[in-house]
Amino acid sequence: MRLLVADDTRDLNRALTALLERSGYEVVSAFDGQEAVDRVLGESFDGIILDIMMPRKDGLSALRELRERGIETPVLLLTAKSQVDDRVRGLDAGADDYLPKPFALKELLARVRAMTKRRADSGPSELRFGDIRLDLGSSELSAENSVRLSVKELELLRLLMMNADRPLGPAFILGQVWGEDGQTGPDVLELYLSYLRSKLDSVASDVRIEGSDEEGWCLRSRPALGPDPDKA
Amino acid sequence: MTEATMPEPPADDAIFGGRLPALRDALAQLLASIESIRHELRETRGEDPVEHCLGRIKTAGSLREKCLRKGVEPTAEAAFRHITDIVGVRVVCAFLDDVYLVRDRIAALPGMVIEEETDYIRHVKPNGYRSYHMVVSLDGGPRAEVQLRTISMDTWAALEHQIKYKRDLKGDLELITSELKRCADELASTDLSMQTIRNMISAGEEAQQ
Repeated sequence: MRLLVADDTRDLNRALTALLERSGYEVVSAFDGQEAVDRVLGESFDGIILDIMMPRKDGLSALRELRERGIETPVLLLTAKSQVDDRVRGLDAGADDYLPKPFALKELLARVRAMTKRRADSGPSELRFGDIRLDLGSSELSAENSVRLSVKELELLRLLMMNADRPLGPAFILGQVWGEDGQTGPDVLELYLSYLRSKLDSVASDVRIEGSDEEGWCLRSRPALGPDPDKA
Repeated sequence: MTEATMPEPPADDAIFGGRLPALRDALAQLLASIESIRHELRETRGEDPVEHCLGRIKTAGSLREKCLRKGVEPTAEAAFRHITDIVGVRVVCAFLDDVYLVRDRIAALPGMVIEEETDYIRHVKPNGYRSYHMVVSLDGGPRAEVQLRTISMDTWAALEHQIKYKRDLKGDLELITSELKRCADELASTDLSMQTIRNMISAGEEAQQ
């Protein structure tokens, strides 16, 4: 794992670097905010430790700039002040965690571990249910054949597959997949369930989407053992 | 709506074993039958589901090359026994369901015999190829291969064909084939979505009547 340690106090920077390297991390040092930004944009890191008070560009500015540029790398902010306002500003600027100085070294290590673990553990890359396989990285749905799903189709099917043991109500599904902005009409769920049904059929899967808006929706696996008893 | 087209028939060659006129007649008849299906559907449904229909007779060179590729003796006897697409017709539709609709209409033509058919839409080829193939014979004439597909499938197949037959292909072949497969699966998904939207529109119209 690669970490960037950005702190203008050379002694502290050197000490942190040594500590982290002893714990098995690969560490790159930066001594001001601009250098920190340049390093992050030039290479890839699994975690960033940023001091707030730095010359040329302070930690909060550097953090805001990185987030604006779409850098999602987890960031732990360090500061000599332990004021609530700084903590709030830091978290709002996009920090994942905050540690006021002076801090215990073992607490720093624990927070770095937690921060980098959250990133690595972002969930399985592939889901299975019945005879289907859903590759979350490539949006590929496969059984006998394969098709590629659109973003919303993928999120909807992923939600149904991860909750296959219980019916999901439309309000919950709309909130999870389409967000809370309420810009979507009520027909969008019906349409997307129809899309998924046609795609499940096209890959020759026996997985069905069953239920209703009242009861909720869920996946069912119906292997072709004989006539469907529910449809008799 | 475009009329069916048939390019200039190939020059005669020993490999046709004197059957070239019969092949031309068979192709013309088949195309005429498909035209009548399109006409009937236009009358009864108000629209022609076929985007375009092309027919052709394989050139002698192409036929010989296919014999070589399939390990078939380059004689008229062997070629006609083992190669099914000497007469070929391709029917392209805008919507997926229409591919099956036209398939059913072709199967129902009087005098039509289906020797074999394969659904590469339900059973997609590993490279991503999708189409519906029928080897047919009309009124006991020479067999012809009919390929039915959507516009998306046709676009994809045209590109795949270029790549398959290009000898000096530059670039990473593995990357190209995997990317082509991805495109095939994305196009298929779009075909399905558009069919679903069309079904939704029809259901809405029916409900209003």
